[in-house]
Amino acid sequence: MNRPEITALALADRRLVVCLGPGGVGKTTLSAALALHLALGGRGVDVMTVDPAPRLLDALGLRVEDSSLQPVGLGAMDARSGARLRALKLDPKRVFDRLIERHAPSAAARDAILADRVYRNLSNALAGVADYMAMEQLLELSRAPDADLIVLDTPPAAEALDFLGAPRRMLELLDSRAVTLLGAAGGAMRGPFSMLDLAARAVLGAFDRVTGLRLLGDVRNFVRNFSGMYAGFAERAAAAGELLRDPRTLIVVVATAERERIAQAIEFVAALNELDLKAGAIAINRVRPPLPDAGEIARARKIPASLRAKLQSHLADLAALETRERAALDALHAALPQGVELLYAADLGREPRSLADLAEIAKTIRPA
Amino acid sequence: MRKPSPSVRPLTPPRLIFVTGKGGAGKSAVAAALALALSRRRPATLADLDRRGSAAAMLAAAGKSDALETLALTPRAELEAFIHRIVPLRSISQRMLRSRTFGYVTAALPGLEAFLLLERLRLIAGTAALEDRYAVIDAPATGHALELLNVAGGIRGLAPAGTLNRLAAAVEDFIADPNRFGVILTVSPEELSLREALDAARALRETPRVGWIAAALNFATAPLFSAAEVAALAAFPAHARLAEARMRAGRAAADARRALRDAGLGVIELPMVFAADFDHAGLETLCGRLERGLSQP
Repeated sequence: MNRPEITALALADRRLVVCLGPGGVGKTTLSAALALHLALGGRGVDVMTVDPAPRLLDALGLRVEDSSLQPVGLGAMDARSGARLRALKLDPKRVFDRLIERHAPSAAARDAILADRVYRNLSNALAGVADYMAMEQLLELSRAPDADLIVLDTPPAAEALDFLGAPRRMLELLDSRAVTLLGAAGGAMRGPFSMLDLAARAVLGAFDRVTGLRLLGDVRNFVRNFSGMYAGFAERAAAAGELLRDPRTLIVVVATAERERIAQAIEFVAALNELDLKAGAIAINRVRPPLPDAGEIARARKIPASLRAKLQSHLADLAALETRERAALDALHAALPQGVELLYAADLGREPRSLADLAEIAKTIRPA
Repeated sequence: MRKPSPSVRPLTPPRLIFVTGKGGAGKSAVAAALALALSRRRPATLADLDRRGSAAAMLAAAGKSDALETLALTPRAELEAFIHRIVPLRSISQRMLRSRTFGYVTAALPGLEAFLLLERLRLIAGTAALEDRYAVIDAPATGHALELLNVAGGIRGLAPAGTLNRLAAAVEDFIADPNRFGVILTVSPEELSLREALDAARALRETPRVGWIAAALNFATAPLFSAAEVAALAAFPAHARLAEARMRAGRAAADARRALRDAGLGVIELPMVFAADFDHAGLETLCGRLERGLSQP
């Protein structure tokens, strides 16, 4: 991308762009628009989307069941040489199964895990799994020999940066000490276990009986089956952390011009800092384009009075929303953390349904 | 014969209403306005499951009311309360909660904390019935909310007998009882939001068998302009574009209303608030519509 306006982001040198943000701000659309724009500028871009709208899937030429990279035809678009765009839709369950298949020490261990009821619960129900799998999918993409630039859409984050914390949480779950504690059969425990651990184990047994879960045995099996893969998981988590901290990675926090969403975006940037990660930009999506001149309507003789009145009332409605948006953006300007670029992307006025729509959104991206 | 249209007559609110919806659809504002509306009939409680406490903050900004209390719920606090209940010996229960191992096991038992949260909602609804109050829950966004409401079935599958099995059966009965529990799906008139709401309504009727589901169609505007009027503005392309967008938004709202009603959902329509500040007045507008959409007990 050679547009001078956003050179501060050094997009030409990036290998990874990660879009983070709360739900409903248009993260997926913005990621796709950005990916298309960077591809048209001559990069080989792979974009991973999470839960895209059906029309966006159409726009990218993806089918619902696709969970591997699919080429996106740029034929009709004005693209530089070297332009390439591929897209995929994240399927957390499939990525998790693939991960187990890759790291399981044996075919028997693999089958045992895939059939395990704890695993099935974990892979289907645990919200954090989607986050972890987005990270896992990212590693897969980044290690492909022909990877040039990856644009990553992430699952919506409520208040914490679930996605970025996922590898750490997974590691804590599989922490070797717990693995040993739970994995050891009956009296065969060795090592520096505290009285607290022993008591916890006894109490857990009681908990299991009272609640009727009878799950302790299953958890123990699960953990034991998993322990062979611990090293693989630890390596993946470390690699993911490194990738996110690479200077060629750009983290973009996406929000809309609403007070609540902007407050969330600023919290995100602070939470990133705590994880020793740096947001490069906050992108405000769906910013209202400037309103047309009301005087034009007042002066036009050919417009019937009733239509003129409606146009004026509509403009007054929009002006009120514009004032609300302006106040939110002014507050953001005042609170913008140092070193974070502020970008605006304009509202298209309709839901994007083609590559051309995405290109149009991308063209509106500008520094605030 | 025409299908009876549930949206025409006001809906009878259950004791506890669980407000969910797609991110950006205005779920927290709807929850806050609903709690305000109900508190004008009976005392009401607004419980926040969202750690940001957005709905409670909106109510606080709108001013204090004796008929309305707010409360924050967290999965961790529910887990602690449950452990203290089943392990009455304080020193042991405390030790358990502090143990890292216990943390790992609960992490490996996804759904336990969520289930205990649901059990808490059941207790809140029970208290509300005894004290003749209402409770409104500002719940997580649709995906997480579905997982949460489905968790009782999962727990019953995992615990074939014992305390949790009994609690899970009680929670399932609670969710199915239209007098005690209901879900409001907050929808914005956009393709993805509408589709998600329709899918969610279908899913909620099937597996957790929710007995009371309604939709709050938020940001609904009138089309204001006709196609002929948009065409008449050809000489003013910028104005024509805006008029067309407004017309499309109005039509999208009408289509969404129809689709929601066709799915058998009661629909309460909430207007787009065109105000320079969505403050007390904005909340009042939504509150007024909700009051009219819900019948008197």
